[in-house]
Amino acid sequence: MTRARVRILNWLIPVGTLFVWEVLGRAGMLPRYVTSPSAIIAALWELTESGELLLDLGVSLYRVSIGFAAGTVAGILLGLGAGLIPGVRHFFDPLVSFLFAIPKVAFLPIFLLLFGIGHASKIAIIAFSGFFPVFIAARQAVLSVNPILLWTARNMGAPPRTVFFRVVIPAAAPQLFAGMRIGLAQAFVVLFAAELIGSRAGLGTIISSGDDGGRFDLMFAGIVSFAAVGFVSDRLLMSIRKRALKGQLIGTDEQQVLQ
Amino acid sequence: MIARVQTLIARWYSIPLMLIFWQAAVGSGLVESRLLPSPAKVFAVLTTETANGALVHHAAATITRALAGFFLAALVGLPFAAAMARSALWRNLFEPIFFLGYPVPKIALFPVFTYVFGIGSPSKIVFTFLECLYPIVVTCYFGFRGIQTRLLWTAQNFGADRITILRRVFLPAALPSVFAGLRIALPVSLIVVVITEMIGDSVGLGFYITLWSTRFSFANVYAAIVVIGVCGLVLDRVLQLAQRKIVYWQEDEA
Repeated sequence: MTRARVRILNWLIPVGTLFVWEVLGRAGMLPRYVTSPSAIIAALWELTESGELLLDLGVSLYRVSIGFAAGTVAGILLGLGAGLIPGVRHFFDPLVSFLFAIPKVAFLPIFLLLFGIGHASKIAIIAFSGFFPVFIAARQAVLSVNPILLWTARNMGAPPRTVFFRVVIPAAAPQLFAGMRIGLAQAFVVLFAAELIGSRAGLGTIISSGDDGGRFDLMFAGIVSFAAVGFVSDRLLMSIRKRALKGQLIGTDEQQVLQ
Repeated sequence: MIARVQTLIARWYSIPLMLIFWQAAVGSGLVESRLLPSPAKVFAVLTTETANGALVHHAAATITRALAGFFLAALVGLPFAAAMARSALWRNLFEPIFFLGYPVPKIALFPVFTYVFGIGSPSKIVFTFLECLYPIVVTCYFGFRGIQTRLLWTAQNFGADRITILRRVFLPAALPSVFAGLRIALPVSLIVVVITEMIGDSVGLGFYITLWSTRFSFANVYAAIVVIGVCGLVLDRVLQLAQRKIVYWQEDEA
């Protein structure tokens, strides 16, 4: 298949959908609650001009970044600890395996009551839900480090500190990033639920207020911006990962697919 | 025997320890018991609400929805992934949708689903289907593509026809990654159903949590959380069991 043909096929469905969507919208054949892409862009512009979008975007980003950072740091520290020290592992394993099966969003009403409907409750629940995938990845990563690497380093007289930073961490890094990616995806799911159920600001409130007020163009504008923020955040994490894992990705399946 | 009891204690002591700590904190009045009801109270609510059928009723609704969405996603996703792995046309048509769409938080679309499919079960099932479809298709696609071509060549060399190759080589070789995809999707289905029930419904564990938190009866909320956890654990165990039966040649990695 030629390059041009591949390109056309790649774009066929997204562009085709937008085109049909717009045409149906112009013809007035869409239901009331679906607005055409051009109306969504107009609504996005309206929200940008009034400054609302920037404000709510800032609020949502603030919540996700602080919550995700806190959950990730705690997950990495405790996860590495659990991987390295059997006592820590035996303490956290039963707790984590029990809590991991529960959708963290179920705790939302409790967090809302404990921390109020401001930033704190969202940050706390995002951190809480982000902690588990990172913890499990870090724990698993340390335990699955090839022992030959550790023996080699020790044999050559590396002190424990050097072994930790130069062998364990690099070997564990790919799995850490995999856990962080899951945590980030969950952060946005939890953020959406939290902003929809109990919040006065954030991208979720643009969606719910557009929904309540019958301004479906604003609702879609909120949906598009929320989706875009989630997508860009994931891409950002992936590009950090690519830098951090330079050399470890060569020849893997992923390198062929993403490039 | 004693050694086994000792390892059992060493492995599991943290859960009873936390429960005792929690009970003591509430009992001594350190924490307001309305916000954080004691484990004993949660357990009492759990037993009465299970006995009178309320929790069973809501749990049944949640699990039915989650499984319906999950199985639909598996039913559609597997052939889809296989087609994408085998045909360049399908691959080029759908790869961008699945790979670029994967990191997009699709949950934001849920309000639209409630308009199209109503607020009850259909919108939840369709949405769960969509959320499960992505991990299943992406994981299985890599699995189908990763099949060693020499296996296929060998089978062809021995004169196997296409159906036989599909049944005896292609599917078995991909099964481990199929199960990997299913195991990612299964908890997702439960999460999505609970969230959407919390946003708006009149039945299901998510609704139950919202209902009792607005009545400030948090013992019921914790009871529902425990039920969700047990459901998730049981579903995952069943899937693991099925995996061990079907992919019996794969080594355990637990």
